[in-house]
Amino acid sequence: MGWRIGVDIGGTFIDFCALEESSGRMHTLKVLTTPEEPGREVLEGVALLQERHGLDPASVTAFVHGTTVGINTVIQRKGAPLALVTNAGFEDVVELARLRMPEMYSLFCARPEQLIPRDRIFGVGGRILSDGSEAEPLDEEAVRQAAAKARAAGAEGIVVSFLHAYRNPAHEQAAKAVLRAAAPDLFVFCAAEIWPVIREYERTTTGILNGYVHPRVDRYLGSLEQALAARGVRATPMITKSNGGIMRAGLGRTACVSMLLSGTASGVMGAAFLARKAGVARALTLDIGGTSADVALILDGEPQFGTGELIGEFPLHVPSVSVSSIGDGGGSIATVDGFGMLKVGPESAGSTPGPACYGRGGEHATITDAMAVCGLLGHVPLAYASVAMDRAKAAAVVGRLAAQLGRSLEETGEAIVDVAISSMFAEVNKLVARYGVDLRDFTLLPFGGAGPMLGCLLARELGIGRVMIPRRPGVVSALGGLVADAKNDVVRTLFLDLEPANLPALRRALSELRAEGERWLREDQRFAGPAAIRLTADMRYRGQSFEIEAPLDPAWIEDGDLPALLGAFHRRHDAIYDFHDAEAAVQVVNLRLVVIGATDPPELPEEPRVEGGPIPERMVRAWLDGAWREVPLFLRSSLHHGHAFHGPAIVAQEDSTACIPGGFAASVDAQGNLHLTAEG
Amino acid sequence: MDKVTLQVFANHARAAAENMAYTLYRTAHSTFVKETEDFTVQILEPGGTVAAVPMDFGATWYPGIDYSAAIGMIGDYEPGDIGFTNDPYSGYLATHVPDLHMWKPIFEDGEILAWACGHIHNTDMGGAVPASLSRSLTEVHQEGIRFPPMKMVRRGEVNEEALRVMLLNVRKPEQNLGDLKAFTGALNTGERKLRAMVRKFGVDGFRAGLAGVLDYAEHQAREVLRSIPDGEYSFSDYCDEDGPDGNPVRLALRLVIKGDEAVLDFTGTDPQLTSALNVPTGSHPRHTLLLVGVFYVLYTLNPQILLNAGLTRPFTCIVPEGTALNPRFPAAVGMRSLTCARLRSLIFGTFGLAIPERMPAAPAGSSSIMNVMTTDNRTQRSVLAAINPIVGGGGGMPTRDGTNGSGADSAYLKNTPVEITETEVPIRILRYGLMPDTGGAGRWRGGLATALDFTVFAPNSRVTARNRDRCRFRPWGILGGKAGAPSDFVLNPGTAREKVLGNIDLVTMDPGDVLHIHSPGGGGRGDPLAREPARVLLDVKRGYVSAAAAQRDYGVVLRDGAVDEAGTEALRAALRAACPANGAHFDFGPEREAHERVWTAEGYAAMTEIMTALPTHWRFFVKTRLFAMLKDPAADSAAAVRHAFGRLREDYPGLAA
Repeated sequence: MGWRIGVDIGGTFIDFCALEESSGRMHTLKVLTTPEEPGREVLEGVALLQERHGLDPASVTAFVHGTTVGINTVIQRKGAPLALVTNAGFEDVVELARLRMPEMYSLFCARPEQLIPRDRIFGVGGRILSDGSEAEPLDEEAVRQAAAKARAAGAEGIVVSFLHAYRNPAHEQAAKAVLRAAAPDLFVFCAAEIWPVIREYERTTTGILNGYVHPRVDRYLGSLEQALAARGVRATPMITKSNGGIMRAGLGRTACVSMLLSGTASGVMGAAFLARKAGVARALTLDIGGTSADVALILDGEPQFGTGELIGEFPLHVPSVSVSSIGDGGGSIATVDGFGMLKVGPESAGSTPGPACYGRGGEHATITDAMAVCGLLGHVPLAYASVAMDRAKAAAVVGRLAAQLGRSLEETGEAIVDVAISSMFAEVNKLVARYGVDLRDFTLLPFGGAGPMLGCLLARELGIGRVMIPRRPGVVSALGGLVADAKNDVVRTLFLDLEPANLPALRRALSELRAEGERWLREDQRFAGPAAIRLTADMRYRGQSFEIEAPLDPAWIEDGDLPALLGAFHRRHDAIYDFHDAEAAVQVVNLRLVVIGATDPPELPEEPRVEGGPIPERMVRAWLDGAWREVPLFLRSSLHHGHAFHGPAIVAQEDSTACIPGGFAASVDAQGNLHLTAEG
Repeated sequence: MDKVTLQVFANHARAAAENMAYTLYRTAHSTFVKETEDFTVQILEPGGTVAAVPMDFGATWYPGIDYSAAIGMIGDYEPGDIGFTNDPYSGYLATHVPDLHMWKPIFEDGEILAWACGHIHNTDMGGAVPASLSRSLTEVHQEGIRFPPMKMVRRGEVNEEALRVMLLNVRKPEQNLGDLKAFTGALNTGERKLRAMVRKFGVDGFRAGLAGVLDYAEHQAREVLRSIPDGEYSFSDYCDEDGPDGNPVRLALRLVIKGDEAVLDFTGTDPQLTSALNVPTGSHPRHTLLLVGVFYVLYTLNPQILLNAGLTRPFTCIVPEGTALNPRFPAAVGMRSLTCARLRSLIFGTFGLAIPERMPAAPAGSSSIMNVMTTDNRTQRSVLAAINPIVGGGGGMPTRDGTNGSGADSAYLKNTPVEITETEVPIRILRYGLMPDTGGAGRWRGGLATALDFTVFAPNSRVTARNRDRCRFRPWGILGGKAGAPSDFVLNPGTAREKVLGNIDLVTMDPGDVLHIHSPGGGGRGDPLAREPARVLLDVKRGYVSAAAAQRDYGVVLRDGAVDEAGTEALRAALRAACPANGAHFDFGPEREAHERVWTAEGYAAMTEIMTALPTHWRFFVKTRLFAMLKDPAADSAAAVRHAFGRLREDYPGLAA
């Protein structure tokens, strides 16, 4: 028995979740991030765990880390100067992208500055066709010239992406060999090696993201591995992946795109784990921090997956846990316009300077300041005492808006929260409509520093009757790493009609994918336990130009059971689009396989049930639902299994504060989760 | 309603509209609706004007659409009813026959509190040609089966008779039916969401909220108008052709801004056409099609703006009947998209005269939709597929270059990956990218055009390129910036078999033929000689501008991959001396200048006067004859027009009557 440590780096804090396996005890910790020296805070945290909880580094059996180093490299544009080698005639593939731009009503809509400018994109002769045949041999001399030009332009690495390389990678591989020989000092990635799937822009931009973050991610993970080893941690460090799984940190040094969303994904994985443990099958997770507010759907205990998540301004096309942004978090700034309308966001005070009440130079009224003037925040030290709440500053900035609105301070605070909630409501509604789900049988699962603060209010607006606040809302992402499985996605683009003649091709693809998955799990990940696979296919009716993913049983392909394969697609189509067409021809565009090496989920000890009611720390004055009320303030540490009470109430703990309005009944379960149920 | 509750209400109203839009998109059957997002949804106040639309979904045209006339053509509404129409001439709601509009009343205690409504573009509504659209059609009867406003659903029961008539007359009945079901589902979703809003805000609160969001948008529009100097601003723009091998179509606008109100007077616009390029607006003083360009301007000047009919209140449009922007029945209207693009650039240009410091130069203004029908040599199956929209760049902006290859008013279009096209359609794409030297030169360069070259492998392959324009009249530059390059359409370029196709929208290809198309480029903004040489150098390195053009258009001399500072300074001085700034707001390019040497403003004014007095059925004929007669500049062009008309009257006695 030893220790399992999960670590998650956010914008402001780095969270630790350390599980002592012998006792099942969980220790949590928050340390301020050190952006100028990424990785140092990890060691600081380990040192603190040693100091406070007697951790022996040698006894660490698992060290799982979620990091934002990759995504920050993109957002801050601090990646490597790259060159792209692609087909002549198609050099604008990244600039044109899919044409459509987000702000469709603005004459000033513009594309982001590309990660590779056009003058470092080199078209070369050579062409593979859609069936994989070669129409024109690769112009190797042009590739050599591209290498010279790339180096002259200051590129540190080269991404190679050719049309139809998902079908036949020969030209990409040949070009890579030429580049390696011509420019051994430059690193080279082939787009079809990273994610070999049809659609040139999506594949190319994913390859570019990988190359762009590679040097920084490589250095970061390299030094982290060394530092941990130097501290005496013998366990192989793992990192969390965008797909909700984990892999050896060493793999992340080249498979960079698969960890770009590691933090958001592991938050959802952690929440899904807690939901399953609590017997909640359908949940809407709500992760609110200082600078972001994200939701994700858990259906049948499982998160949803998709591609096309945005990394900065660029879509990432490897399978990732689906998360939707619904706002900018507690730091969103409120303003009043010329008509007297109160707006919240899109400007945000971010993590620096942050809300005015944090006293770090914030000059604008944020949602957090609004909660503070209503007396809902600041009754206990915030964020493990790293933030001092200055309510006078909140009153000053909210007061300015109050004067404009002609309302009292607390009315204005409530108004800010109401407007923010209604805008989140509108965003969640899009997600609901897209998935065609009915939220009334869902549980809202808020986490992150500010999730519990706004969760009940949003649940009320959405008509969700149940809310579950985890015991430690601030470290759900760090926990997610501890419960995640080793997991990898592999894919083959087939693009064939689902008919008897194509069964051999399907079988071949399946066996190749199995072998590839097995190789990753055993050789790359060095996982020795039992393996599981999940097979899906991206399918569509002929003539459609988008695919939906349907789960398949490998036996259907092995046994040639076409009706079962077709049925799986029709069912899925029906579930998503409310209709299916049994007569239409069905195409399999991609066959996909997920290989999984399961991690034993930690046993969270159950707390014995206590009798009697919880004892409030004290009564506090809070403005809720249009009036000042004396409400009980509970400390989370003194709420135990079996405790029950009614809102209005405030529950404070070191990493977050939960606001429970009237009309909610609260109870604590054996894992320490706080369950809130709308009454009446 | 207090302003805080109103903001909350506005968010809920947007959510209801977005919920409808996502539901429609999710459940629609036709690839057309799914791919092009050619649908809209709205929430209407009881009177039939728009209170809320989705922000990031569907087409951008209808925040100002007015359902009131069409709603009024059906009498007694009951709960569970759904009205519909696709007739462009019944209430001027549908703007061409493929667009099916539906509306559902939301009742509370026997009273209509709101409407949930929208439109979908059906792939086909019957008529003379597949997909119902061709610019060569001459009257609306050829454009498909039309339904005047009537009930599609009565108290929850589908009007099977109307439905059967529709399905009998269209080419892809299963798609129309599937989309209709999805649409009905979306309206029901809208009703549920609106009912939830009634519960949340109360009946009175709901009413006040709908009125409030309209007032708020009106306030925002007026605030923008107040920031624009009072004055009269006149401009005109042209479509290349009024039909196959036709004459230009001139759209004219006089914008009068006074305080927080504006009048848009389109008098001087060409007479209605005997082709399908007419825009049906029914003399409505605030028809949404006339104001789409205005919505773009307002949103660009204030991105916080709430999109609903309140925005239209400060505007009044004047459009004489019998013109291309207000045709009389039964003029064909199917291809009004092409004219609408020009209408938008007309509005952008006019506002640019009023607030040059805040407006961009002309966007490309032509979004051609390419379809190919060819045969797979292996399977011998005929394949029909949309390839890509060929879209141009945005115009140069106040502080940045125009967006390349898309942007401005075509930012909503999506392309199809080359790999998908080549997998599904037996063609080979040889090039898909930006076209160098197509962005208008300027202090801020216009966005580049998109180019596509492809070849086919089977004989008798047919390619259609709908909505082609700006082959002749270029996207204008402003404030010293140059016009963008015109679009082009060429079969077998650079070979002995080269054939320039111009605005032809149907071409037949044989195996091995190569077809090249490129869109127009965006106009430039500001003096190109003031563009930093380093930026020009970067454009050359990036292949956006050739070294020759850098020298010719920007006066930048490059040597060994660097700017020759002295050479550049000298060349720029010489260019300035040779061609001093003329202070003109617009640069139109040689084609329009040549055209306007013959057809001057005075000449057009004389023609407008003649047309106004003529019965509608003579107008297009007379215009065509006048254009045939007047080919050269005249000392007094108005007199020349009147003289030519005098001769026509002699030739055609019926004209005198």
